[in-house]
Amino acid sequence: MSELTTSMSGMNALGTHDERSRQAQWQADKWMMSGALFLGSAVFGIIGLPLFLRGLALQLKAQRAGLTVRPMMVTLIGYLVAVDAALNSIGWALDMVAHHTLLARVFLMAWGNMFDAGYFWHYNELWIGGASAPGEKAWEIALLPLVFSMRIAAAIGFLQMKRWGHQWLVITCWFGVVAWTGYIANMTIFADVRYTGVVFPVIGWWLYDIFYITPFLALPYLHSVNREIFSH
Amino acid sequence: MNSEPASLNETKSHQQPLPLGTTPAFAGMHKWLQRGLVVCLTALVLEGAFTFPLLAMWYGWPTLSLQEICTEFEKIRFADESRVCIYPYPLFGPAEGAGQTTAQDQWGIQPRPQYKAIGYRELIQRVAARQAAESTGVP
Repeated sequence: MSELTTSMSGMNALGTHDERSRQAQWQADKWMMSGALFLGSAVFGIIGLPLFLRGLALQLKAQRAGLTVRPMMVTLIGYLVAVDAALNSIGWALDMVAHHTLLARVFLMAWGNMFDAGYFWHYNELWIGGASAPGEKAWEIALLPLVFSMRIAAAIGFLQMKRWGHQWLVITCWFGVVAWTGYIANMTIFADVRYTGVVFPVIGWWLYDIFYITPFLALPYLHSVNREIFSH
Repeated sequence: MNSEPASLNETKSHQQPLPLGTTPAFAGMHKWLQRGLVVCLTALVLEGAFTFPLLAMWYGWPTLSLQEICTEFEKIRFADESRVCIYPYPLFGPAEGAGQTTAQDQWGIQPRPQYKAIGYRELIQRVAARQAAESTGVP
């Protein structure tokens, strides 16, 4: 009888711990999700950063209080990979469907003239509109609805500690390796179009775009983490 | 969120608990990856927030309106001073550059554009020079 009582109280304590952990995680996630929505919008990123950091701080606090919350690396990778995909999507969605808006014609072409004339040279001349550089539209069509959308979905599953989230993040981050390799090869082959008459060519492009390598930082973690923790 | 054997969660040297899912063999790598992620996060936020306003300023805003900048871009890339940036653009109209014949390129298997890079706030001088020429009647 006493063994049963001990076991019952142990289960109660575990249940309470579990419940408190879930609440703490959800509280932190609410801040981080709001922050990530702003971060993914690019221009409102400054608003999103303090919200996101507040969520991170709450999660850290819960972790220090002994609650079972998500590992910091999983949180950082999940949100950052989603934000990275959202930022890529915004720029390319503008080019795909909003190429004749004033915003796109100033922002994309200013960016193009500064770093990569793929977004300046014969812009809005193709029947489909937007960038006319060889291969650019094909990359947009391949990566926008497939890689970036899938990566955001995978990041959500990953943040929920789901097995499929981990698996699909591995897949979509490897997509990223293919995308970078193909994209850079295409740019290099048509370098005259991309970098002639550009204010800050090649090095400027690399300095600007290097921070989009988050999928590459995620991959070593995804392959070395103990994947049994993704069991939901 | 699951618990893990204590041996996996503790380093041998300082007995400090490792994050869930991180094994001692990869602890150092995970620490550096985390630093890289924080750098990327910060850089992406700053780039996202400031690229558009800084680019707009480089090309002449607020002295020039966004539509004037758009017009100058159009004149330069199609090498045609008569072009203007139509805004709002008709929703189902043809692409603004469709069928143009004025853009200057050295055509070949590797096309090479002939326009020059635009300098810092150079568009303001272009607009001012054009307005001065118009007011004096000089073409």
